[in-house]
Amino acid sequence: MQDFKEKKRTVKKAAVLLVIFLILLLALSAFFKSMALNYPEFVQSRNRPWVNIQSERNDSIDVLVLGDSESYTTFSPMEIWQQDGISSFVCGQTGQEIEETYYMLKTALRTQKPKIVVFETNSMFQPQSVSEGIQKMIAQTANYYLPVFLLHSMWQNWVMGPEKQQVYYKGFVVRDIVEPYTGGDYMEKTDRKEEISPIVRFYMDRIVKMCKEEGCSVILYSAPSPHNYNYAKHNTLTEYAEQMGAAYVDFNLMTEELGIDWEKDSLDNGDHLNVLGAEKLSRYFGSYLKQNYELEDHRGEAEYQSFDDMVAQYQKARKNAAKKIEVILKYLREKK
Amino acid sequence: MGLAYHTELYLFVFLPLVVLVYHFSSQKMRRAVLILAGYLFFWSFSRWMVLYLIAVSGLIYGAGRWMEHLKETGRARAKEFHSKERSAIKKQYKAKEKRVLMAGIIILLGILAYLKYCNFFIQNMNRIAMAAGKDFYLEPQKLLIPIGISFYTLEAIGYMADVYWGRIKAEHNWAKVALFLGFFPQIMEGPISSWKDTADALWECRPVQSQNLVKGIVRIAWGMFKKIVVADRLSVVVTAIFDSYTDYHGVMIIVAAIAYTLQLYMEFSGCMDIVIGSGNLFGVDLPENFRQPFFSGNASEFWRRWHITLGAWLKAYVFYPVSVSGLVKKWNHFARKHFGKYLTKMGIFAMTLFPVWMCNGLWHGAQWNYILYGMYYFVILLAGEAVSPVREKVLDRFHLDCKALYWRVPQILKTWVIIFTGEMFFRANGAAAGFHMFRSIFHGFEFYRLWDGTLLGLGLNAADLMAAGFGILVVAVADILKERKLLNWDKLQEMKFPVRWMLYYALIFAVIVLGAYGTGYQQVDLIYAGF
Repeated sequence: MQDFKEKKRTVKKAAVLLVIFLILLLALSAFFKSMALNYPEFVQSRNRPWVNIQSERNDSIDVLVLGDSESYTTFSPMEIWQQDGISSFVCGQTGQEIEETYYMLKTALRTQKPKIVVFETNSMFQPQSVSEGIQKMIAQTANYYLPVFLLHSMWQNWVMGPEKQQVYYKGFVVRDIVEPYTGGDYMEKTDRKEEISPIVRFYMDRIVKMCKEEGCSVILYSAPSPHNYNYAKHNTLTEYAEQMGAAYVDFNLMTEELGIDWEKDSLDNGDHLNVLGAEKLSRYFGSYLKQNYELEDHRGEAEYQSFDDMVAQYQKARKNAAKKIEVILKYLREKK
Repeated sequence: MGLAYHTELYLFVFLPLVVLVYHFSSQKMRRAVLILAGYLFFWSFSRWMVLYLIAVSGLIYGAGRWMEHLKETGRARAKEFHSKERSAIKKQYKAKEKRVLMAGIIILLGILAYLKYCNFFIQNMNRIAMAAGKDFYLEPQKLLIPIGISFYTLEAIGYMADVYWGRIKAEHNWAKVALFLGFFPQIMEGPISSWKDTADALWECRPVQSQNLVKGIVRIAWGMFKKIVVADRLSVVVTAIFDSYTDYHGVMIIVAAIAYTLQLYMEFSGCMDIVIGSGNLFGVDLPENFRQPFFSGNASEFWRRWHITLGAWLKAYVFYPVSVSGLVKKWNHFARKHFGKYLTKMGIFAMTLFPVWMCNGLWHGAQWNYILYGMYYFVILLAGEAVSPVREKVLDRFHLDCKALYWRVPQILKTWVIIFTGEMFFRANGAAAGFHMFRSIFHGFEFYRLWDGTLLGLGLNAADLMAAGFGILVVAVADILKERKLLNWDKLQEMKFPVRWMLYYALIFAVIVLGAYGTGYQQVDLIYAGF
C-alpha cells in the first residue's frame, strides 16, 4: 500500500511538472507561429510553404499540390490560372518526406477545402526503415502540434536579418537554369514493380483516406524525370492508384505529348524540369483538370485578386528565365 | 540508425516506455524489464548479434564460476596437506585459474581483434606485398560488428580478472551478469564500469523516485544541450576542413583542431550526460567519464579527467599487471645495478606505459592514426617524466608555487596545445593526413582567414557560430563552477525550488530553440559509438 502511494506520488509530481512544461511549450509555439505568420520573411525558405498556405484566404484554393521538389518545379499555379482560371497552390518542399506531406496536408485543410489534392509521387520511393519512420513520425507530429519545433531556427534570421528567399508563385519556383538531358529513352517496358517501404505506404494510405474524408478527389502524378522514374515505378503507382481509387497521370510516358525538349526543358540533367518544361506540363495539367473535374474559373473575381496581382510578376520572372536559359543554351552549344 | 541516445526514438519512445514499465513492475520483474530492454536496444542496432552479448554474459559467468570452483577446491585440497605442499597445491590451482582467465580473455579479445582488426591487418599485408612487388592480395572481409563491442568486452574482461584476483566473488546468478553487461544506457558508449561500480545497484532495481526522475531528465537535457547546440554545429566546420584538409593551412588547421576537440568533448561528455541521466531514472549512479578535462595542468592529469573509465580500466587491467610482471622486476633488478636510479625509473615507466598507450590507441580502432594517437601520449608522458627532476629543481630553485595562477595557467595552456594536437591526429583521415595537417599549420598562417569569410564559408552562418559560442560559454561556466566546487549535480538539487525549476526549464527550452535540428540540419551520429 505504502509502495503504491509512493508510486502514485511520483507519477503525480511528474505529471504536474510535465503539464507546466507543456503549457510553456504551447505558449512558445503560439508565439513562434504568430511571428512566422506576421513576419514570413524571417521564416527559413524551406518552411515558407507552411506559412504561405496558411496565409492564403480561407477556402480559396481548389487544387492543392503536395510533394518534394518535383512538385514545385513542375506544377505552376500561375500558368494554370492564366490558362484556365483554376486556383491552385503548391505546398511542396525540397525533399518533402511522406510524413511531412501528411502533416502539410493536415495543416492546409485547417483553412482550405480543396476539391482536388494532387500529389507528386517521387517521395513514395524514398526508402524508410521502420525506426526511421517512427523517428520522422515523432518529429513531424511534434512540428504539427507544437510548431516551435518547426520554426525554432527563426531566431537566426531575427538576429542576422532575413535570409535570401526564393520567390514562390503560389508555391511554384521559377527555375531559370538549363542542363540538357541526353540519356535517351528511360521508360523501358517491364512487368517489374518497384517496392514502396511499408511506412511510406502507411502514410500514403492515410493521406488518401484523409482526402476522401474531406471530400477531395486525389490525383497522383509523376513528373517527367529520367533521373527518378522508370517503368517499374509506373507499374507500382498504376496498381496503387487503382487500389486506392485515385487518378494517376504518369508524365514520363507523355513527354512527346507534352512536347518536352530535353535539351531546353531540363533543369539538371533529367532530375527536374526548368520553367520551360514546367510551363508545358502545367498547361497540360490545367486542361486535364478542366476536362475531368468540375472546377470554377475564378478569373476576374474580386476574392482572387491575389492571383491576378501575381500574374504580371510571374510573367516577368518567366520571361527573364527564358532569356537566361537561351543564353546558357547558346553557351553550351558553342562549347560543344 | 537504431535507438541511438540522441534520437527522438530513444528519448521520447524507448526510454519513457521502459521507465513506465519498470515503474509499474515488481522488483523481480524490473530486473527482467531492464535485461529485455537492453537486448531490445542492442537488437535495434545489431539484430541477431544480440546473441553474442548473451553468449559473452554466459562466458564470463561460466569462467567466474569455474575460477571460484578452482579457488574453493584448491583451498580445500591445500587444507589436507602440510604447509610445504600447501603452497604448491595453491600454486597449482592458481595456475589452473589463470588458464581459465586467459582462455576467457583470449576468446573475447580474439573475437574483438578479428572483427575490428582483421581488415586492418589484411590492408597492411596487401600494402607490404604491393611495396615488395609480390603478387599477393587478400580480399578484405565484410564483417558486421556488434554495437558497443569495445565497451562491454572490457567490462567482461574486468569482471573475470576481478574474480581471478579475488577482488570480487563470482556471481551465482546469470541474470545479474547479463544485466551488468547489458544495461542499455551503457551498451553503446560506456562508461566502462567495473562490477563493483554498478552490478549491485543495477540488481537492486530501486523504484523510480521523483527526485531521481528529475535529476535524470535534467542531466539528459544537459547532454542534449552539449550535443545539439554545440557539437552538431561544430561538426559542420570540422567535417569541412578535415575532409578537404589539403585546401587549408595555418590558422584554419588550428581552428579545425580546436573545433574538433570541443566537438568531441561536447559530444562524448554530452552523451555521457544522457547515459548517466538515463541511469539516474532507474536509481543507478553510473561512473562519471569526464571531470573538467580542460583544467588539466599536464597530459597525465588530462587522462585522469578525460574518458576516465577507459583510463581506469587500462590502469587496473594493463598497467597494474605489467608493473608487477617478472619482466619489469627483472629490469628493476638489472638496471639498478648498471644504470642508476633515474634510468631504471625511466625504463620501468616506458615498459609499463607503452602497452597502456598502445592498447589505448588500438582500442579506438584499427587505423594507424589511432595507434599514432596512443604513441603520441606515450611519448609526451615519457618526456614529462624525463624532465620532471629538472622541473622540480626549477620550482625549488626559484621558490615557485606550482598551485599559483602564474604557474598553473601556462601549464593549462600548454596542455591545451597538447590536447588539440593529439585530437587533430586522432580525427585526421589517416596518419599521413595528420602529419600533412600538422606541417601545414606552419606555412601561410593567414590570421585574416578568421574574418575574411573563409570561416563562414564552411557551412555555418554567423548565427550558428554565435549559438555554438554561447553553448561553449555556458558549458565553460558550468565547468568552472564545478571545478571550484561551487556547483555540482547534488548542489543543484539543493537550490530553492523556483530557482531550480527556472534553471531546468531554461535549459530545456534552450535545447528546443537553439538546437541544430530540423530544417537546415542533419542529425549527426555519435562519434564514440563507432569505437
